[in-house]
Amino acid sequence: MPDPGDITHVLSIDIHVPVQQVWHEITKTGSIQRPLYNCVLETELRPGSRLRYYSPNKKRVFVVGEVVEVDPPRKFAHTYHFVQNGKEPATLVTWELSEIPNGCRVTLTHAGFTSVHKGADKQKAGWLEILGLLKSELETGTIPMRTRLLYSVMGFTMWMLPKSTKTGEVEKVTW
Amino acid sequence: MEARRSKDLEPVWRALANPVRRRILDLLCDGPKPTGALARKFRRHSRFAIMQHLGVLEDAHLVVRRKDGRTTMNFLNPVPIQQIHDRWVSRYQQPWTESLVDLKDQLERDTRSKAG
Repeated sequence: MPDPGDITHVLSIDIHVPVQQVWHEITKTGSIQRPLYNCVLETELRPGSRLRYYSPNKKRVFVVGEVVEVDPPRKFAHTYHFVQNGKEPATLVTWELSEIPNGCRVTLTHAGFTSVHKGADKQKAGWLEILGLLKSELETGTIPMRTRLLYSVMGFTMWMLPKSTKTGEVEKVTW
Repeated sequence: MEARRSKDLEPVWRALANPVRRRILDLLCDGPKPTGALARKFRRHSRFAIMQHLGVLEDAHLVVRRKDGRTTMNFLNPVPIQQIHDRWVSRYQQPWTESLVDLKDQLERDTRSKAG
């Protein structure tokens, strides 16, 4: 449970598609989630099961965690380690979906950042972008050209990431 | 889509058109705060008035409120601000900057030719 002194990010966006469609997008496993920086989610989606967000070719791991709660199509919570930061205490990501007239309200809470965590602000900026992309993807079926260009650049520069993000290395660590 | 997006932002503009509410957003920008702590920052406004302003901000989705036991925590939601930026700022920024630079060049040329 987060301490009162901890930092919590809360971001909320209204998306004009049915709740079920948003749920499907954010819990989709085994294929690219375009709004989520092209990550591939792998998990069994039940409390206690392990969770990974991989690069598209699955050679790198960006996020390591464990599922905390799954209540389709309303709530999905998991612990979160940002692999590039090395071994830090887990934070908690919670997706909450609720029905609104003509759509779905998506509220993302990222809790448990303390002074030992690196780049809490960057995580917030990332979620802000991700939620905008999620809205764009689901409402229009696409994401902006500049983001798609950025993704292709990211694909070519994956080798620049620390060795510790390689899938084999990540699985050697007890998170 | 464009028309709907503009309509979605109507309550945001209305909420921002008030100095007390803008001040509340500034305070929340430093981190989430319980309603009581927020109200104490405003000497000339009652707690009730601040709660009403928070209600307007919540309706505009600029503030997300979470009950935490007996207190309500107020979080600044950065999403609508980002949407205003995407819709109004980034689109106009470039032409504005360019035309201002053009104007500056033109005026400076005129001044120089008059002086010379």
